[in-house]
Amino acid sequence: MSMTSHKAWPKLTSREEFRFIAEQVLKRSTGDHTLVMLHDHHSGTTRFANNQIVQNVDTRRGSLSVTVAFGQRHGTAITTDFTAGAVQESVARAIEIARLSPDDPEYLPPVERQSYLAPPTMRAETATAGPARRLEYANEAIGQCRMENLGAAGIVSSALASVAVAASTGLFAYEERTDARFSLTAQAGEATGWSATAHRSIDHLRIQERTLTAIDKVKRGLEVRELPPGRYTVILEPAAVAGLWSALLWMLDAKSYEKGTSPFSGKLGKLIVDERLTLRNLPAHGDLLGVGFTSEGLPTVESDWITDGVLTQLAYDRFTAKTRGIDTIPTLDAPCLSGRGSSLPSLQDMIKNQERAILVTNFWYIRTVNPTDLTLTGMTRDGTFLVEKGAIVSAVKNFRFHESPLRVFNRLEAFTNPAEAITSETGKLLVPAMTLGDFNFSSVTRF
Amino acid sequence: MPDHQIIHQDELAELALQRVVASGAEYGDIRLLDSRTQHIRGEDRRIDSIRDTEDRGFGVRVLYHGAWGFAASSVLSPEEVPRVADLAIEIARGSASLASERVKLADEPVHRDRVVTVRRIDPFSVTLETKTALLLETMESVHRQPGIVRSSASLWARQDRKLFVSTEGSRLEFDLLAVNGDFDATAVHDGRFASRCFNTPHLRMGYESIENANFLAEAPRIASQAVEKVKAPTAEPGLYDLVLDPEHLSLTMHESCGHPSELDRALGYEANYAGTSFLTTDKRGTFRYGSPHVNLVADNTEPETLAATGYDDDGVACQRWDIVREGIFVGYCTNREVATKIGETRSSGSNRADSWGSVPIVRIANIGLEPGTTTLDNLLADVKRGLYIEGHGSFSIDQRRYNFQFGGDAFWLIENGKRTHMVRDVIYHGITPEFWNSCDAVADRSYRRRYGFITCGKGQPGQSGWMTHAASHARFRNVSVIGGHAGS
Repeated sequence: MSMTSHKAWPKLTSREEFRFIAEQVLKRSTGDHTLVMLHDHHSGTTRFANNQIVQNVDTRRGSLSVTVAFGQRHGTAITTDFTAGAVQESVARAIEIARLSPDDPEYLPPVERQSYLAPPTMRAETATAGPARRLEYANEAIGQCRMENLGAAGIVSSALASVAVAASTGLFAYEERTDARFSLTAQAGEATGWSATAHRSIDHLRIQERTLTAIDKVKRGLEVRELPPGRYTVILEPAAVAGLWSALLWMLDAKSYEKGTSPFSGKLGKLIVDERLTLRNLPAHGDLLGVGFTSEGLPTVESDWITDGVLTQLAYDRFTAKTRGIDTIPTLDAPCLSGRGSSLPSLQDMIKNQERAILVTNFWYIRTVNPTDLTLTGMTRDGTFLVEKGAIVSAVKNFRFHESPLRVFNRLEAFTNPAEAITSETGKLLVPAMTLGDFNFSSVTRF
Repeated sequence: MPDHQIIHQDELAELALQRVVASGAEYGDIRLLDSRTQHIRGEDRRIDSIRDTEDRGFGVRVLYHGAWGFAASSVLSPEEVPRVADLAIEIARGSASLASERVKLADEPVHRDRVVTVRRIDPFSVTLETKTALLLETMESVHRQPGIVRSSASLWARQDRKLFVSTEGSRLEFDLLAVNGDFDATAVHDGRFASRCFNTPHLRMGYESIENANFLAEAPRIASQAVEKVKAPTAEPGLYDLVLDPEHLSLTMHESCGHPSELDRALGYEANYAGTSFLTTDKRGTFRYGSPHVNLVADNTEPETLAATGYDDDGVACQRWDIVREGIFVGYCTNREVATKIGETRSSGSNRADSWGSVPIVRIANIGLEPGTTTLDNLLADVKRGLYIEGHGSFSIDQRRYNFQFGGDAFWLIENGKRTHMVRDVIYHGITPEFWNSCDAVADRSYRRRYGFITCGKGQPGQSGWMTHAASHARFRNVSVIGGHAGS
């Protein structure tokens, strides 16, 4: 490799630098309340397709947000320029907006000083990984695919961010966060196989293992048969489960619940999915991407959202929480779904135990069709197989599904222990692979 | 951008490009961008957010021994520019170490130009009191309709002042503007809820676009239709003739024609994320994409449209070309890199980045459906059992753009040539070329409307593309409609 050794990354805003900037902002603001938020981000992505690098980028973007309030009137100015003059100008702009804005009856002053969990959000090996490391990983994936006469398309990315919030109420929080990602689509003609991962540590991406998974899938996809649309038993790999659950979690907004514009309206405290399923938020879990605090400076907390299938929690904005007398607002930054009772040790065991089912690697383009009953649609993608008599017998053409998680997760037949799941359309979750009965595939596509 | 800043930015550009040239790279460019975005959002009769964002930075792109490197920073300083330029060179050298096929750029004349969006009213000069009052009055009007429980309304404006300079000698200055406004109403009835939306078309105009939209005149209609929609009967599944309005068609075209016509997708660049394309290069010139009524034209020269920026982020002049001519697929959206891979001598000028921090990638052009010769009344008159669909709703499509499913914002039953009453929970689905081959008529130019998109997702890291799609009403025969609920 001709690349020189990695050079020092540009220094992101430190805790003390942010404290200095925040003090300047608070000193200059004439508002009743002032909130300062920092997001200083340095990331790089090496992208490959057709077995070579097609895009190789490195971006450093700092962003400072100033919100000023006079009574119930508030305004926000944001800048990417951290020079003293630009910061001062941003304060002036926020003041001007706030003075001209109408009263917002739901405005609440920033929260006061908090204490935080301090989850392990920063890993030095990711922070110092530069283009050379990303290129090395991309080369490894491409090389393995090449050896098998396959095409490789994917990404390796690494990022470091300093994130902070401070306010005139005494609030102060600062955190460094790293993030590393790898995803690969192995290709052979019409067939594709996919695998993906994300972790705070770039050392945990397990490039070889993930690449072999994608290669195994594409090799199994060379012979494809077309099955008619209809209702099938499905074995959903964790990524596919995560896609459906992300859509569900997105709709837990408490304000919509109270206004009657939520699919969960009237369901708090009631069974909404199989009683063996429990969803918790685990910000300190080492395999999740939990954070220490929210953008408003609220501490993230371990919390229960669905317990034994019963919906026990909603996602509260601060105003709605206040009207309901809720002091600690639960967060959902690191979701973990688990099953109670006898789980199967692995996806392979799940396949072995199945007489006939469709095995789904991933879903794509999941969208809400009907927000009242949470009917979703989407396509299977990058590895859809027919399982018969305990073994994968062929790939099948991709299906479109038409289902509500509120129905289908009540048809749970088997599950594994929670495993990492991430897709291009979801954040990271820990979820089991699942076997679900009577899953509605409404149409089939041409490949 | 004041003159003294332009001079300063030229110096920064020179600082970067000198290093690129000295490295032995065959090509390099720099984009320096100063964007301002104002977004005012209202919800349930209150203004919940006013945000004014100044976003400044630069990105340096280098082609070294046939491979790309790109680096960008929001620190605009004489120290940071050389660091970033050197990093872009270093990254390109790394890419070159794995290159099996060298990137070759299609030729483009050197351009030195300045492009300015024509505007009558600068949206940033309109007072906040005026804008917030408009949103509050609109939401109040919506809530006067019994049955409405929620509303939202927003105004958005963005100004991009950009300087593009390349090692080939092109120097392009831009002062671009785009505005948008929207509001919606949500009604509840019998345990279910439904929304109806109103959008201005996201155009490169001034605040006159908002004034012309007349929110206050439209609000009662939108609110009333939200209530009618939530109370409407469900549509029975089955085959229907569809008459689609221009706003609805803008999304159908975007997903089922726009994306598959991106050449980078057809060549596999997006295989790991946005997907590939069923419009493979062997189909160009022969594949019947639609009926002879279907003429889809890319036009990045039409004033006021989002992709009409004079030049793209390759420094290629905007153009007009055919994508589908009389039903036959004939053309792609390309950039200077991928154009050469199919033997094109010039890029179509469709390479765009969503900010200074993003590398340009192939984006959908302003693709529109060419008008036909009939009227909307005639389209409806020849339908015994059909559905008339307005606006955007649920949408989903596979990664090669064959199997699609679309909803809409509002639906009316057509019986014996007349729109009768609203229905709800309409979802139609199909296979792209079968659907476009079922098009048997398009309304004339007097019905043509334009709708813009600013959230078209593509690329890793993800970027938002901007483009406008224009159409007149069109009719499609025997399309499969299924119920939009879990039991169907």
